[in-house]
Amino acid sequence: MGIPVLPSQRIDRPSDLKGLKIPYPVVLKSQVRAGGRGKAGGIEFVTTTIDAVAAAHRIFNLSIMGEYPQVLLAEAKYNALQELYLAVVLDRAERRAVLLGSSQGGTSTESAMEKMQRVVVDEDFSPFYARRLTQKMGLRSKVVISVSDIIERMYRLFVEQDLDLVEINPLGINPSGEVMALDGKVTVNDEAIARHPDLLQLAEKIPTVEGSGAGNDGAAIATATRNEPVSSISSCLGGSLGAPHFSKLDGNIGIICNGAALTMATLDLVYLCGGKPACFANIGGDTRWDLTPDDFVLRLTQALNLTIADASVKAVAIDIIGSAIDCNAVAAAIAACVQQSGRSLDRSIAPASSVTKPLNGWDSHHNGFLNGFGEISEGPALNFDLRQAESDSASLFSESSQPQRHGGISLIVRLCGTDLEPAKKSLAPLNIPVVDSLEEAIARAVAYANKI
Amino acid sequence: MNLKPDSKVLVQGITEPLGSIHAARMKAGGTNVVAGVSPGHGSEKLHDIPVFDLIEQALSAVGQVDVSVIFSAPFEACDCAFEAIAAGIRQIIIITEGVPPLDMVRLVRKAEATETLIVGPGTPGIIIPGKLLLGTHPADFYTKGPVGLLGRSGTLTYEIALELTNAGLGQSIALGIGGDAIVGSSFPQWLQILDEDDHTEVIVLVGEIGGFSEEAAAKYISEAIDKPVIAYVAGRHAPKGKRLGHAGNLIAAQISAGNPDKVSPSGADPETAQSKISAFKQAKIPVADRPSQIPELVKKALKHGVKKK
Repeated sequence: MGIPVLPSQRIDRPSDLKGLKIPYPVVLKSQVRAGGRGKAGGIEFVTTTIDAVAAAHRIFNLSIMGEYPQVLLAEAKYNALQELYLAVVLDRAERRAVLLGSSQGGTSTESAMEKMQRVVVDEDFSPFYARRLTQKMGLRSKVVISVSDIIERMYRLFVEQDLDLVEINPLGINPSGEVMALDGKVTVNDEAIARHPDLLQLAEKIPTVEGSGAGNDGAAIATATRNEPVSSISSCLGGSLGAPHFSKLDGNIGIICNGAALTMATLDLVYLCGGKPACFANIGGDTRWDLTPDDFVLRLTQALNLTIADASVKAVAIDIIGSAIDCNAVAAAIAACVQQSGRSLDRSIAPASSVTKPLNGWDSHHNGFLNGFGEISEGPALNFDLRQAESDSASLFSESSQPQRHGGISLIVRLCGTDLEPAKKSLAPLNIPVVDSLEEAIARAVAYANKI
Repeated sequence: MNLKPDSKVLVQGITEPLGSIHAARMKAGGTNVVAGVSPGHGSEKLHDIPVFDLIEQALSAVGQVDVSVIFSAPFEACDCAFEAIAAGIRQIIIITEGVPPLDMVRLVRKAEATETLIVGPGTPGIIIPGKLLLGTHPADFYTKGPVGLLGRSGTLTYEIALELTNAGLGQSIALGIGGDAIVGSSFPQWLQILDEDDHTEVIVLVGEIGGFSEEAAAKYISEAIDKPVIAYVAGRHAPKGKRLGHAGNLIAAQISAGNPDKVSPSGADPETAQSKISAFKQAKIPVADRPSQIPELVKKALKHGVKKK
């Protein structure tokens, strides 16, 4: 993009500094995907090799926002008279790109914020928007041209690469009025990355936990930041669905829903009922253009396998609603997962009538509703150890002496779609109740999990 | 908004998996789906609906249409919408999620210039129970009644509709503005439409984490909306920093220098459920703590009539 950057060199270990090709003074920068590195001590100026090696040792062992650098960047120190902050960012409320600039760039974010100026790109971009920003920032004469030029290039990069953010902080201006990008950050939009194969490739090279975008080309100072692990990004490739969104927490109830907001609402319900989720998965709502019914069932299977494989999960609540849900196929997939999982399916998740203990935030209206629900029959209590394909002798367990089977798990399903009755019938032998109400499913799952 | 039971509906991306399933459902439910457009599939027929390569060909055959529902792939959706606007269609619903935000920025500019109503992307569409289905809503969950249901996403909106229907509270209209970060129409816009709609007596607003739609809605409600509003916000316990599936959910502290304009007046971390709930409470809007509580709040609001300011 033609934005001037300093000569730099990649440092993989402190001893690399012995072969440094850039003359001192030099600045060492931690390559982590976090802002505020300077303040955190991740950026240091050094004048000799000994100081550089010592600084490198320190920075390699410095975790910033939970991340240790795999690589440092050594850059020539720039004699900046003034440091500016510049950014192009997508503003959701305005639904436009917005240019941001502050005459006080650099490590102190508070002073940058104090003087932050803003120009909304209302219509098609034209260089005058950039000039407008420089005026608001208080820049005058020659510097207006050179800084506007940088802003224009940043904007072009922003649009061409479908970015959420391009930030240069600081943009250094030296005594002769020349500009130099001293540090920067670029955020690629997750939705759009699939139409940029080069970015996708770059992203896939970055390990998920440690960050490092440092290469030896001019883009070195821009550290690519992602908000998702790579596997979900490649799921954006046309047609390929990838894994469902799956997140781990530290409780004992697994949640699987279709749709992000429904998943969040279900999670909230679990806490409200006094339960603790172990993990939750969103297998995708109704707005994925390429989600065939078969793919949907596949994602359910993946999510359920992940959930069951988590030893901390004792109860699983599955909530799937929609207009085109084939309940039979869903039930079959659930049954198959459970049977192939190798975990024993415990006695049926607490029947509704046994849920009498008062739950957090539960008012009498709801207690009444639950206690009145007596349709689910107890049935014989069977413990399945399906891996060995044999069943224990049928014995009745009372609620107070729940077997504490290692690895035992219990499921409850809430379904709304077509062919509901056959689905209920196919899951009944596995003691997996299928209910109509989300709250009932969650209340029962929590009651069961809390007894373990 | 200008939607009636006999409104003529075009489905773009009708041969895509989602498009095919829901075009059939829409038609079966009585919606007047007159044509479909899917480039490369012209002269086919799908579910008895004629399919064309270009909108102009469709319009030659069936005349002007009132609304287009788009199920096309994310990177094509914007182009489909531009084609619709060029063909004179002034109401567009983009069901597909994951449309690149910068595409939406361009589309929004064009929509503003042409006064085109855009809903979505990432929306379940609009349903007017008993009259019109433009999208993916399960018609069985809905019934006619006095509640205007406004949300962002799909399945949670269905869940709330079911709660209302089961409690005997039908819906005048239900829609989601979309789960993506940049959407075609906002909560305030739709609140205004519902406030002016003769069949709506009370509004239920379903929010979720991410962005500032709910805060903007709360402000607009206290300033300009007369009908009572009940709110619910999902995501009180959503872990921060994780992608949950809606591009619009990401709580992003993107800029190193912080967000100059985005400090929430309530003091809570911006974009969180807490911040949105505070905003609603400050505007004296009752907030349900779980979906099943919504019907009782709606019934209270209906009993007390127009909300006191």
